[in-house]
Amino acid sequence: MMNVTSSRIVKERLGKGLSTVFMVLASLLLLSPMLWMISTSFKKAKDVFTYPIQWIPSDPVLSNHIKVWTAGDGFAMFYFNSLKISLILMIGAPLLAAIAAYGFSRIEFKGRNVIFVLYLCLMMIPQQVLFVPKFIMFEWMHIYNTHWALILPGLFTVFGVFMFRQFFMSIPHEISEAAFIDGAGHFRIFCRLFLPLSKPVLATFAIIDFTWTWNDYENALIFLLDKKLYTVPLGMQNFMLEAGVDYNMMMAAATASVVPLLIVFFFGQKYIIQSFSSSAVKG
Amino acid sequence: MNWMQRQRLLGYVFIAPNLIGMTIFMLIPALFSFYLMFTDWVFANGQPPQFIGFGNFKRMIEDDLFAVSVRNTLLILIPVPISIMLGFLIAVMLNNRVYFQKTLRAFFFAPYFTSGIAIAFVWMVLFQPSSGPINAFLGSIGIADPPKWFASPDTAMYAVLIMMTAGGIGYNMIIYLAALQEISSEQLEAAKIDGATFGQLLRLIILPLVSPTTFFLMITGFIGSIKGFGMIYAITQGGPANSTTVFSIFAYKKAFNFYEMGYASAVSWTMFLLILGITLIQWAGQKKWVHY
Repeated sequence: MMNVTSSRIVKERLGKGLSTVFMVLASLLLLSPMLWMISTSFKKAKDVFTYPIQWIPSDPVLSNHIKVWTAGDGFAMFYFNSLKISLILMIGAPLLAAIAAYGFSRIEFKGRNVIFVLYLCLMMIPQQVLFVPKFIMFEWMHIYNTHWALILPGLFTVFGVFMFRQFFMSIPHEISEAAFIDGAGHFRIFCRLFLPLSKPVLATFAIIDFTWTWNDYENALIFLLDKKLYTVPLGMQNFMLEAGVDYNMMMAAATASVVPLLIVFFFGQKYIIQSFSSSAVKG
Repeated sequence: MNWMQRQRLLGYVFIAPNLIGMTIFMLIPALFSFYLMFTDWVFANGQPPQFIGFGNFKRMIEDDLFAVSVRNTLLILIPVPISIMLGFLIAVMLNNRVYFQKTLRAFFFAPYFTSGIAIAFVWMVLFQPSSGPINAFLGSIGIADPPKWFASPDTAMYAVLIMMTAGGIGYNMIIYLAALQEISSEQLEAAKIDGATFGQLLRLIILPLVSPTTFFLMITGFIGSIKGFGMIYAITQGGPANSTTVFSIFAYKKAFNFYEMGYASAVSWTMFLLILGITLIQWAGQKKWVHY
């Protein structure tokens, strides 16, 4: 009896070990473009396409990275622009969404549901439909070719309002009613009670918003003209065109632009994975 | 007006900032663009928009780019089910059949999380036709004349499809993993005691139980795929010879290369209709296979 169970355990462990090895290999395959990018960013030009692939450069150099940051292409400036816009939006957008979501979930006023259904409809319209009219309107508003063209529209998200509304509706009504009876107004309840309670949602949305803004290529492509205003994705495209066949330089630039995302992913993993999973399961 | 009534009116104050922003940056542009699709308007030539009814749509159907865009937009749907299937298989494996589950989950999710223009350029170099790593590998296993990928109109779309498939797996995996963790282990144990094989478990119990998740991933995946623009445009600008022009690139070119704002609006609303149509078809078909 003893032997039968222990041999079954051994067999199970062996199976689990084998599938672990297999899955590690599969994940490395998916990670390989990123791994290749990082390793190539440390290679000399002559080693870029050697085959079999040198995953660890035989003769690693830092010069590509130094050149990306110091050359006249302004990569440091693109970085600064992206950081500025991303940081403003990752603080502003969650706050504005939370305020609106409180109104939609906790105060009953005339027209509330009509407005909310309108939001639902707006969410279905793809960005591409709005690019042409926004381009024209931004010219009229004199914000075309300024960072405002990315910041102002970015502050208002339907997605954020939904996310906070969902969360606020899960807070028991008794809590806010008790405060209400004690004479606290909606502003007090929102600032003192709801904002502190929604710290995890604020963090999650801030992370998601940061990655959106950091990766946003389309808005920058359409609304920015001056090179000194470029954000990282647009600046990188410009850099790629100028780099020509300097693939090791290209990969150093690509690595630089992915690093902030990797840092955010590493520290915010818990929030990120939770938020992605819960949004889908709850439908 | 008493305090209670005043508090109720505060509702408008709370939603006002967002509502004003939405009106300026979404509602008005949407209405403006809806009007523009019925007009002929070349921006910057000083003429006001001219109402031409459905003229833009007539022109579009005859446009060579329209046929190309429809074909490519349908092709770009292919990565969706493939990456959903692979994401599902990975999630099943990670769900209590491996050690280091959390680390592996992060490994699989990271490529999705970091994907963007930077990774698109990495793919461009990986697919470099003469000596890039992918063709070097194909050469080493004896394929004498490997495809030219992004450099040739015949194969550029395949490279796009491969890039899209790889990019979507991590997201689908994470969503499935969450769904699998909601399945009660008792149900699975009971089936195992009844002698069900792993294949039967998968087909008869797990797949039906996660079918709402699959449905969600199909709907959002198709929508995301049709809307996709950046990663393709950054590498190919829709070329070579328009071979990777999808709807979003078609609309972009008309608007910002030729400044034909009326025509571009018509193209972008057609894309919206395409998204709506595909979503409605899936919605209608869900009764057959989605179990709630």
